[in-house]
Amino acid sequence: MAILCLFGVLALGLAACGEDEEEGGGSGGGTAEGTELTIYSSLPLQGTSKDQSEAVIDGEMLALKQAGEKVGKYTIKYESLDDSTAQNPGTADEAQTADNARKAVQDPTTIFYLGEFNSGGTKVSLPILNKAGIPQISPSNTAVGLTTDEPGADPGEPDKYYPTGERTYARIVPKDTIQGAALATIMQEDGCKTVAIANDKTTYGAGLARNVETSAKELGLEVTSNDGTDRNAPNYRSLAEGIDADCFIGSGVTGENYIQLFKDVAAAQPDIKLYGPDGVAEAAFTDPKEGGIPADVGARTKVTVATLSPEEFEKQGIEEAAKFFSDYEAEYGIAKPDPYAIYGYETMKLALDTLEAVGDKANDRKAVIDQLINNTKGRKSVLGTYDIDENGDTTLTDYGLYTIDGGELTFDKVIKAKG
Amino acid sequence: MAAASISTGRPKGGAAVWDFISKWGLITLLVAFPLTYAGIDLANGDGLARIGNNLVAGLSNGAIWALIALGYTLVYGIIELINFAHGDVFMIGSFTAFALYSVVGLTLATGPLGLVLGLLVILLLSMLVCGSLNVMIERVAYRPLRGAPKLAPLITAVGVSFILQNVGILWFGSSQRGIPDLIKAQQELFSIGGVEVSRADLLAVAVTVPLVLLLTTFVNRSRLGKAMRATAQDPEAARLMGINVDTTISLTFLLGGLLAGAAGLIYALYQTNVWYFQGFTAGLIAFTAAVMGGIGNLRGAVLGGLIIGIIQQISDNRIGNEWTPAVVFAYLVLIMVFRPQGLIGEETREAG
Amino acid sequence: MSKLAELRSTRWAAWLPAIIAVVAVALFPLFRPPLDATMSDVIQALAYVVMALGLNIVVGFAGLLDLGYVAFYAFGALAAGWFASDHFSKVNGGEGVHIGVSEFVTTAFPQGIHVSFLLIMIGAIIVTAVAGAVIGLPTLRLRGDYIAIVTLAFGEIISRFAANGDEVVIKGYALSNGRESISPIDQLNLPLVGEFDSATNLRLYFWLALALVLVVLFVNFRLRDSRLGRAWIALREDEVAAASMGVPLVRTKLTAYAIGATFGGIAGAFLGVYNNSVNANQFQFGISIFLLAMVILGGLGSIWGVVIGAVLLSFVNTYVIPDVLDKGSFNNLLSDVGLDFTFGEIKFGVFGFILVLMMVLRPQGLLPERRRAIELTEGTGGDDAIVETRA
Repeated sequence: MAILCLFGVLALGLAACGEDEEEGGGSGGGTAEGTELTIYSSLPLQGTSKDQSEAVIDGEMLALKQAGEKVGKYTIKYESLDDSTAQNPGTADEAQTADNARKAVQDPTTIFYLGEFNSGGTKVSLPILNKAGIPQISPSNTAVGLTTDEPGADPGEPDKYYPTGERTYARIVPKDTIQGAALATIMQEDGCKTVAIANDKTTYGAGLARNVETSAKELGLEVTSNDGTDRNAPNYRSLAEGIDADCFIGSGVTGENYIQLFKDVAAAQPDIKLYGPDGVAEAAFTDPKEGGIPADVGARTKVTVATLSPEEFEKQGIEEAAKFFSDYEAEYGIAKPDPYAIYGYETMKLALDTLEAVGDKANDRKAVIDQLINNTKGRKSVLGTYDIDENGDTTLTDYGLYTIDGGELTFDKVIKAKG
Repeated sequence: MAAASISTGRPKGGAAVWDFISKWGLITLLVAFPLTYAGIDLANGDGLARIGNNLVAGLSNGAIWALIALGYTLVYGIIELINFAHGDVFMIGSFTAFALYSVVGLTLATGPLGLVLGLLVILLLSMLVCGSLNVMIERVAYRPLRGAPKLAPLITAVGVSFILQNVGILWFGSSQRGIPDLIKAQQELFSIGGVEVSRADLLAVAVTVPLVLLLTTFVNRSRLGKAMRATAQDPEAARLMGINVDTTISLTFLLGGLLAGAAGLIYALYQTNVWYFQGFTAGLIAFTAAVMGGIGNLRGAVLGGLIIGIIQQISDNRIGNEWTPAVVFAYLVLIMVFRPQGLIGEETREAG
Repeated sequence: MSKLAELRSTRWAAWLPAIIAVVAVALFPLFRPPLDATMSDVIQALAYVVMALGLNIVVGFAGLLDLGYVAFYAFGALAAGWFASDHFSKVNGGEGVHIGVSEFVTTAFPQGIHVSFLLIMIGAIIVTAVAGAVIGLPTLRLRGDYIAIVTLAFGEIISRFAANGDEVVIKGYALSNGRESISPIDQLNLPLVGEFDSATNLRLYFWLALALVLVVLFVNFRLRDSRLGRAWIALREDEVAAASMGVPLVRTKLTAYAIGATFGGIAGAFLGVYNNSVNANQFQFGISIFLLAMVILGGLGSIWGVVIGAVLLSFVNTYVIPDVLDKGSFNNLLSDVGLDFTFGEIKFGVFGFILVLMMVLRPQGLLPERRRAIELTEGTGGDDAIVETRA
């Protein structure tokens, strides 16, 4: 018995000695070694987000392939990591996400980390990567608190994710203050006076719901309720019956049982108008043949996504987009890709273009971060022309409004958000 | 089990008083829930339509839980095992029913006669599939463990539950899946004083009532039913009387599975939504129902199912969807503390 | 007797394999890079060992089937969330409370309650002990499976409260942040050792986890051989006989719950700090079952058995299935056989299959407690309903 205690003490003693050993693979910005650089991608590959994640990966790999997997004298290796687990499929599992981030930190050749998909996951990986000085780009995070402390952020955000005080994170989609405003704008345009909100209580859904509530009130709409939903509930009939408004917005992702929610609300409130955010902008939600909302519910639903249609891109003169769509079809044989495919493409392209811009110093993480955050200006891309501001946010603010036609998302118009 | 009284006789003296108090205390607690809200509604001048709707929805949801709860109670009554995998057998039933939609050729355009016939066929097939599945599980996972410590078959049941869930994931994926609304479940059939009764409600009752009646008749009147009751009461004695205990147990599992299969089809038609995880949640709820009514007691299981259904709907509507599981389980704890034998259960061999 | 045989029969010899194992584990991190993923897996496994040992006290020693153990893990993690983060940002008029934390934390996080990890541990222990006793109270008169049901119900109720904690607001303080997670949690800061940092060096966390396991093991061994431990075993074997021999039933049962719960609290607090965030998604019923499987796999009531069971299952879950079986060679094996899915997709089912297999083949567990082994091989029947020899 005593011996065991002795070893316990010894172990702690070793810990004291061990503290001064070498730190992780380059804290505070180091130089990646050699001429091979690695780009990691961390997405939930299991569960309900699988299809969207795979679209992101397809987009990323297309961009990488077009660059010939090289930037200047460096070859780029791509590794896709899964941040979900079997116990927690469909979203970022915290322990797994931390493991992914640490893996990237430990690899001395890491030059970019493309992730997470879920805002809640980035909360875990960003502090780790920030400490290690690894540049990070997310294809899809929209939570406000990750980059600014505007309404919708929790107290202490965003600084608590940047322990070094420096910004190392950028995202290519607008934050949810914009989506909230876009949704409120479109609801007002459609004649809503009262709005009922439901949210899935995740970082994304609850945060967006708060943004919608703020924006709606600013535009003079009355918010009658903001209910949290539980994924495990078999149906939401009672919630639906308790709604008393002209318009309903379900702020969540498909995987949180939002198909059922929309169906129940549509059934209980025959006259209500339905709205969904980008979390439900996927075929699994819109297509009845894949188990999504039925056609009659789809006819009453409008969805906002920060992507525009190929035709709209053409109208705005963004030829890169047309090229992307034709390249994507040539590579994968899909004419109408999932909206997230284009995000994946742009995420990788931004990374690669940043590396190209620093030239020989592409293995210097600090230089890459500097280029990414401070020098990405007037970038012409498949999403349009934008800057990355000092917070890491994109200056793009266009949101596309989509209706659902024949089970597919059909572009309706661009929303210029008010306020 | 139910009809023949296998209790140790009615409690006498002090125990009788406590029995009386706990029973009526529990009933009061249960009834207080809807009554309070009805009272609030009336005080606000809103009328009873809202609580009425809650009750109707509760009864039809509860019918589904009742069918599953019967499976739990049958199995527990005979071998004192909480069959954790039973909820997942129900899930397989739903999946089978959905898969059979296209096999039998039912679509949104099918006419009423074709629909009814097709659904009857699917009902029988789902029931058979689940019944055989349940028997197979018993044979493979529980029978070898009859002599083992109590916890071993419990863990095996969990293992089987995981396996079934994985089958579900591989079959229809890991997200919830909307399925065609074949009977237009939410369409209102008629309305009494503002309380709506939809097609789904009628379906749930129309399938559950005959099945429950069939089951009770079978258990009470038939030879095999008598064998089941005997085995539940005292397996050794049953064996001595020449009853083949193994077959009787298999039969019990078969019956439980049949009911789960029926519940699966109703659920699919009612919810228009299937998910690999639905069995886990449904299982917990149905199990609560079985315990609430009195485990080992058939009428209790049905009563428990209906009550839980109502509690759920009221909680969904008044307190919030995300709190409902907490409310249901809080009731469960209260029952277990004050009246473990449930509402009408007799003292089984294990209760306090 | 020869010198060697004499040596072998001394008391210390029985401990030798365990000592070697502990030393090996302690030296392990020195051979791996500081942020190694395997180290991370082992840290998770060690935390599970602590919890499994706690559950072992309730289920293995005292024979009280507890299916809601995740509630104690939740309490421990929430304790870390409450007392080591910005969650209660309005405390002290926005000035916060800082006790025994590093300079960095005091300056970077002026708001909220931030106390030293040792204090959090103590807090977690107290909270979970009380919770354990409270949860145990309703089960006192119940027997067997009914205890399972009540504890399961409590487990679900508490995880519901954790998930909806953002709606439960008392005087402006929310219970938890639900599924939006309380983060970041302060890094550990121990008095002699200094500050830890899970973003750069996992070794310190590893050794702390190992130290926790050793302490918990020590407590377990002392308990098992103590009067209380024997009272538990008496309770488990035959409650009526135990009562008639003067074992105070109520006190014994409640102590079992309380002490078993504290281990869950310790592990929960540790993991909350290690993971740097406390998120209601972590408190799933699956964890209770996972822990139960570990205890049963190892052997109910057998301390080393439970340790082995916990390590084994944890490894199968976090390492073998994702990192070994889900990689190329095995997946090719699957597709060679004509099956259309990856190992990762059937991980759940494989896990369940392992459970079933273990239970059917060896229900007494890998390293059964001696009493149990005797019971099963010689067959004392017990109170089982149907006595049937295994085929």
